[in-house]
Order: sequence, then C-alpha cells, then structure tokens
Amino acid sequence: MIREMRFLLALWKANLLSAMEYRVSFILQVLGMMLNNAAYFVFWFIFFERFESVRGWGLVDMFVLFGIVAASFGLGVFLFGNIRFLADMIAEGRMDYYLSLPRPVLLHSLASRSTISGLGDFIYGLISFALAGQYSPDAVLRFALGVVVGTTVLVAFLTIAQSLAFWIGSASMIAMQASNAIVTFSLYPLTLFDGTAKLILFTILPAAFIGSVPAEFVRAFSWEQLAQMSLAAVGLLALAIWVFQRGLRRYESGSAIQVQV
Amino acid sequence: MKKIAIYIAIFRTQLINSMAYPADLFSRSFMMLIFMWVFFQLWQATYLSTGQNVIAGLTLADTLWYLMVAETVLLSKPRLGQEIATQVKDGSVAYLLNKPYNFLLYQLSVSLGESLMRMAVNLVFGGALVWLLVGPPPHPAALPLTLLAILLAWTLDFCIVALIGLLAFVLEDVSAFEWIYSKLVLVLGGVLIPLDFFPEWLRSFALSLPFAYTTYAPARMFIDPSIGNVLPLLGGQLAWLALFALILSFVFARGMRRLAINGG
Repeated sequence: MIREMRFLLALWKANLLSAMEYRVSFILQVLGMMLNNAAYFVFWFIFFERFESVRGWGLVDMFVLFGIVAASFGLGVFLFGNIRFLADMIAEGRMDYYLSLPRPVLLHSLASRSTISGLGDFIYGLISFALAGQYSPDAVLRFALGVVVGTTVLVAFLTIAQSLAFWIGSASMIAMQASNAIVTFSLYPLTLFDGTAKLILFTILPAAFIGSVPAEFVRAFSWEQLAQMSLAAVGLLALAIWVFQRGLRRYESGSAIQVQV
Repeated sequence: MKKIAIYIAIFRTQLINSMAYPADLFSRSFMMLIFMWVFFQLWQATYLSTGQNVIAGLTLADTLWYLMVAETVLLSKPRLGQEIATQVKDGSVAYLLNKPYNFLLYQLSVSLGESLMRMAVNLVFGGALVWLLVGPPPHPAALPLTLLAILLAWTLDFCIVALIGLLAFVLEDVSAFEWIYSKLVLVLGGVLIPLDFFPEWLRSFALSLPFAYTTYAPARMFIDPSIGNVLPLLGGQLAWLALFALILSFVFARGMRRLAINGG
C-alpha cells in the first residue's frame, strides 16, 4: 500500500513538473478554467437575484455545491487524467504498456496523465466554498471529506463507463456523454428531482454523491449522510475495480508495446 | 445567379456530409434532452415556489420553449473560428483563396450546411421532450419566423467568429478571444436564463450589445411573435449584422494584404 502511494506521488510529481515546463500555458489553462466556471455561476447570481431560494436552496448553498463538484471534478481529472481517455486506450491496444509493468494496471494507467485545467477547477472549488463563508474547522473538514467522496465516486463511475470499451469497442462517445450527464446533474440541488429521478441519481447515474449529498453534509453533520457517502464511495470503487479487472481478461491487442512518449 | 449556385452546392455538400454519421448526430442531441429535462425540473420548482403562473411576462411553458430554442441555436452551431485561425496560421487559406468563390461566403455556406441538420435533430428531440413536459409551443405558427431569426443569428455569429479567426493574421493565437466571446454569449446572450429574468439595468445593457441577437432574439420571437416584440429584435439583428459584415469584409481585405505564405 505504502509502495503504491509512493509510486502515485512520483507519478503526480512528474506530471506536474512536465506541465509546468510551459509556464504560461499552465497558468492560462488554470486561470481559464476558473473563469469558465465563474461564467457559468453568473447564472445563479441572476437567478437568486430574482428568486430568493428554490426548494430550500439559496445562493450560499449553491456556492457549497459548486465548490464540492468543481473541486471533486478538478481533483479527479488532475490526479487521474486518463479517466477521460481510458476507452480509447483500451480500444487502441494502448494498455499493453501498462500490462507489461509490475504496477496495478488501473491505477498506473489512470494516473499517467494529468489534465492541467483540473487544477483550475479544483482552485475554483475552494474559492467557491470560501465564498459560502463556512469557516468553522468542522465545516472545512466536512467539505474536505465531501471532496474526497465526490472524487472517488466520479473516478469510479467514469472508470466503469470507460471500461465498456472492453465489451463494445468504441465506447468513448458513450463515456463522454455519461461524464457530461453526471456533471450536469450533480450541479443542481437534489430536491428539484422527483422519486424516479432521485432513484436514478443515487444508483445508475450517482450524481447525488458528487454534489447534493456532500453539500448537505457540509451544511450540517449527519451520521446517515456520512454512512451513505462512505458506502457509495467504497462500493462504487470496488465495483469499478471489479468491472475493469473483468474487462481486462477480455482485452486483446496487436502487440502495441512501444516506448511511451 | 451562377455564383449563388456555387454556394448552394457547397452548402448542400456540407449538409450531406453532416448526415454521413447519424450516430454522432443523434448522440449530440442526448445532451439537449438532459439539459431540457434539468431545466424543466428547476423552472417547475421555481414557478411552484413563487406561486405565480407568470414571471416577468413568461409562463413555465414559455420559459421552457424559450430555452429549447436558445439551446438549439447554441448546440447546433459549428466551431468555425478556430478553423479559420488554423487556415490562416498554416497558410492553407491560400488554397481556398485562389478558387473561384469568395472565401468568406464559402465559409458561411460550409458553416450553415454543417449546422442545419444538427439544428433539425435538436429541434425534433428537444421539442418532443418539451412538448411532453409542458404542452405544445404557445405560438407554433412562429416557427418560420424563428427559423429566419436563427439564420440571421448564425450569420451574425459567423461574422463575429470569423472576425476573431481573422485576428490570426496579426495575433497567431486567437483561442482566448473565441473563449471570451463564447462566455459573453452564454451570459449576456440569454442562453442559460432568459434576459427577461435579469435585473432591469442588466437586461437593457445586454440588449444594447450584439450577443443577445445571436441567441436571445430567435428564442424570444418563438414564444412571442407579436409585432411589438419582433420588430426591435429583428431590427437589432439586421443592424448588428450589417455592422459586423462591413467590419469583416474590411478586415478580410486588409488581412489579405498581410498574408505571407512560405512555400508549401
């Protein structure tokens, strides 16, 4: 376990250093993404200027929700940048490289790339949470835990979606739509949706665990939500690893072992 | 007459081209369905919580049909600026310049040809869902007028985006400008929320800028085709279009003089 952590840290350090090689591009990508998110949030400023709240959610709650989702998404695509390309890597036989090395295939392949704009999302998430004005140590701790759960659920869900490539070949379009859908739904309060929709958002498209549930947990501690979040994160992660391993047994390629550049 | 036939042929080729990958076409509409469904949940809850049937002159059905048209306009248009910028940067613009057509009109025909099929699919899918959720559009007869307004909106958008693309003659990398423009359309163009829900000062400000005429105008005309509403919006579209078309042709003529092609 410690060995794998060291390995991960070394990978992330290498990714960060290689990204910072082009300093201006690095800063532009981070700042660009922060501004991009801010532009979307203007919607909620205008919305709450006219309507005070919707189903119990006000502007401060939206700051927390956006904070959790942006930080989770940012952390996910920064630390495990290949989460958006896994389907293509499987379909094009590029897993050969990872299979030939003595490291966990899923972990290694996902962490081999960092999406730099993810750092912009992550920082934006922290700023958004700061704007909500909840500075008590326990609220900050709950936010941090929410982000860890959000990141885990997102990465696990996307791993499952991308792993469909083992069975259907070209899955990148489906995986991209799944990614767009889960992010879109996570950015809205759960109270907007009715019974059936809620069931979907807690199961096959678990957006609730990336947005609303952690956001409500930040608002007030509850054992029930803590249990829900932990169960979702651990359960989905286990499922993602299982699906990937099962898929890997079906993996085949035309021997694409080559120097990784 | 013969010249127009050239552009119609280019337009038709692009249109047929866009139909070559139906899976791609339909999967793009998937996001349209998700957006409309989420918007419905949000606005339904909002209308219920205020206890009003009409907010800022719009009913729930008006708001949803407005958003459907606004999203269609946005999701169907092609990403042209980057393409023009690349053509300018790598010099491939030269291969288009020596052909017997106007470069800008060629790009416009390509752009409209690419967008049309995408728009049709988005309108059908998005329209069907919104119809199911809130009932028929308030003024179905406004559809031809809306399609005309969408055409004007895309042409205006084309002029602005092409202008940004042509900045590559001077600036090389124009992606930042394109990005800023897309965010201005998103916020001040009324894509995410109708301008009617803006505070009054921001609404008048947005209406005095060109961005509202690339999305808000066609969507608003669809839900209220009255003369009082249509005339200022259509007038605004035509005025901004005339202005930007003029600037674009001027900049294009100037840019041609700067064009330097190194071999190839």
